[in-house]
Amino acid sequence: MTNALEAVGITKTFGAVRALTDGRLTVARGEIHALLGANGCGKSTLCKIVAGAVAPTGGTVRMAGADVRFRSPRDAERAGVALFYQELSLIPQLSVCENIFLGRELKNGPFADRKAMKHRANDLIALFDGVCGTGLNADAVVGDLPPDQRQIVEILKVFAQDAKVMIMDEATAALDGRQSQRFFEILKAKKAEGVSTIMISHRLDEVFAVCDRITVMRNGVTITEMDTASTTRETVVHDMVGDVRAAAEKVDFIAGRAPSLTVENAFSASIRGVSLVAYPGEILGLAGLQGQGQSALLKGLFGSDPFTAGSIGFANGAVQIRRPSDAVMNGFAYVSGDRGRDSAFQGRSIFENIVAALMVQKRLKIIWPSQLKPQVNKVAEDLKTKFAGLDMPIGTLSGGNQQKIFIARWLATAPKLLLLDDPTKGIDLGAKADLFALMRQQADAGATIIFYSSEDSEIIDYADRVLVFNGGRISAELKGTDMTSVNITRAAYGDAA
Amino acid sequence: MNSNQSRITALIADPLTIAIAASVALLLIGEILSPGFAQGTQIVRLLTVAAILGIVAAGQNIVILGGREGIDLSVGSLISLGAVLAGNMMNGQNSGIPLAVIVAGGIPFLIGLINGIGITFVRIPPLVMTLGMTAVIQGGLVVYSQGVPSGAAAPLLSGFINQPLVFGIPGILFVWVAIAAIMLFVLRRTSFGFAIYAIGSNERAATLVGLPVQLIRTLIYGFSGLFAGLAGVCVIGYTGTSFISVGDQYVLPSVIAVVIGGTSLAGGAGGYLGTMAGAVALTILQSVLITLNLDVWARQVIFGLTLLALMLLYGRQKKLRV
Repeated sequence: MTNALEAVGITKTFGAVRALTDGRLTVARGEIHALLGANGCGKSTLCKIVAGAVAPTGGTVRMAGADVRFRSPRDAERAGVALFYQELSLIPQLSVCENIFLGRELKNGPFADRKAMKHRANDLIALFDGVCGTGLNADAVVGDLPPDQRQIVEILKVFAQDAKVMIMDEATAALDGRQSQRFFEILKAKKAEGVSTIMISHRLDEVFAVCDRITVMRNGVTITEMDTASTTRETVVHDMVGDVRAAAEKVDFIAGRAPSLTVENAFSASIRGVSLVAYPGEILGLAGLQGQGQSALLKGLFGSDPFTAGSIGFANGAVQIRRPSDAVMNGFAYVSGDRGRDSAFQGRSIFENIVAALMVQKRLKIIWPSQLKPQVNKVAEDLKTKFAGLDMPIGTLSGGNQQKIFIARWLATAPKLLLLDDPTKGIDLGAKADLFALMRQQADAGATIIFYSSEDSEIIDYADRVLVFNGGRISAELKGTDMTSVNITRAAYGDAA
Repeated sequence: MNSNQSRITALIADPLTIAIAASVALLLIGEILSPGFAQGTQIVRLLTVAAILGIVAAGQNIVILGGREGIDLSVGSLISLGAVLAGNMMNGQNSGIPLAVIVAGGIPFLIGLINGIGITFVRIPPLVMTLGMTAVIQGGLVVYSQGVPSGAAAPLLSGFINQPLVFGIPGILFVWVAIAAIMLFVLRRTSFGFAIYAIGSNERAATLVGLPVQLIRTLIYGFSGLFAGLAGVCVIGYTGTSFISVGDQYVLPSVIAVVIGGTSLAGGAGGYLGTMAGAVALTILQSVLITLNLDVWARQVIFGLTLLALMLLYGRQKKLRV
């Protein structure tokens, strides 16, 4: 029997970065196949290549035994590969029906056959009958729907293509238990019809309940492929991790200290009841697969995406954080990994880029550069930032040096709580080391530091304690010798340590 | 040597230098076309006209610096409103001047704030908001004045704008210099000025350092209204009486002056010195065109073309820099 889809020796480089060195994936006809791996292992890139959204640098993709070369997602669709997009492909102003058939309208002669499309859309919606809540119908405007129903529309959009291979990348993220259950039932029914599914999921529970086979990737290479029935969770986790990385001896910060920060039962769009404490002098790491609520927690604490419920206590008192200025006034600082979007005042000088936060916190009305420059210069130099002068535009600096400037922006305010949201994204190794040295220095001076990193190794090496996130909740708290890559990966996939 | 060279290139490419050079060149052309064009009293006269445009452009300048497609098309009708209100407060009496300035500045300021609220909180695009406001003000003016011009400038105000105060220079030029000093100080030395550049450069980043982005943007439009209203007071002082569309001719030039001066229409970069030079250059250009006996519509065409040519020029420059 030929396989529905085969990818062999796939490589992909983005500039100097090798995302894939040996991607392999074999999906049989009529099976549900899990693709697992830690952040950055290449599983998303491999899926995009198979779906024609990214062109491979090398390697072969075969469908039903024949070589194929997709130049666009549309090419792949014609060949029978459908990719699930996490909310990215829906147009909020259009109806459910229009979204489902966007770009592949059913035709009656030269004209769009609205009646047929509506009929088909309603049939598709009926798949989720009884679990999708009210208000989901062919004519509903997508922008008015709640997140779970929008995700169902995304799923239906994939189903509508009657593909041979469906790629479901975190398709159940916004669904509740019953909706996910129904989704898997549909996948099983499709399996019986000979349709294959490639599933990326952050829950090992789901994987072991639903998938027939598992492919594990690590560092851009496919490591193993196995039958779910003949393997264990332990094996899968170890395959994802590779060499077990364990933390060096860690100082126990909890002993005899009072916490500086307490969060109780916080909720927001991507957080479902998070409680935690953090201590002065501590570097607390947040880990887990991407988008499981780590950034949302930091943004909630900083007020840029405030919690909808729950309470925050800081330095022995309850604090209300409704907007970033509240957080700044409480001595919080937030550094984003997305520098261009969240931090940089392009076209403005390094000096202006640094004093922005200071002027808010100190409620400065008048700014005398001659008075502030020595102070600003010192912070920037402490960070080993290389720059010609404070009056140079920020854009003249490299990415790593820019990130140092945005950290200097906050260090100038002497923050008591430093929130770092994947701060080392796209910066060089030297700058990374400087950054972590600086975090430790701030912690030793009494600040509380919470940082999210998409690289587990950074957390194991530099955090004193780690909270692992899964589906908007904390799935494990690890400290001391328990802070190993195996434990983190297991918790990232929803299994308690 | 090399850095000297690059410094010279930078100076030549600087919009401020270009605007000043253009002003001098236009003066020479004017002098050739009509001897006496560039004589002292004539230059003072040109600067007086430029001052009024410069005051309007101060408001336009901060609106554009604030980014998010910032533009204030209501300045024309706000100038008219300021002029009509000031005329009615003064009625030719010197004693009415303080009240005239307060009312003609205050009401346009409040209307500007409404512009700002619509743009920041209701998220109406600036172009639409200020264009809609223009219609409201113009209609309101017709109702208020019943279509007939009323009121008159106080002699003291007319003298302040048209007659030399000291050294042959009229008072309005000192006012303009004072406004310029305030503008430069605010933009370069106050957190409000820094915040204007910040929200114009990256609104999201400005929010994330805790700046009150919405308040700042609202105030910017308020101040634009204030400057337009004050320019209206100057206009009635300059012409003696007002009519309800007296400010219309300032809308396009106020934008062009800002752009000539090197302020990016995308926001976040530029300043008032360049805008002042832009206002002067534009006023001289207008004067040259009048000398050439071009009527108002032909001048309109040239102004429009100037703006478009500038956009083309600066747009290309930016691309080269990246």
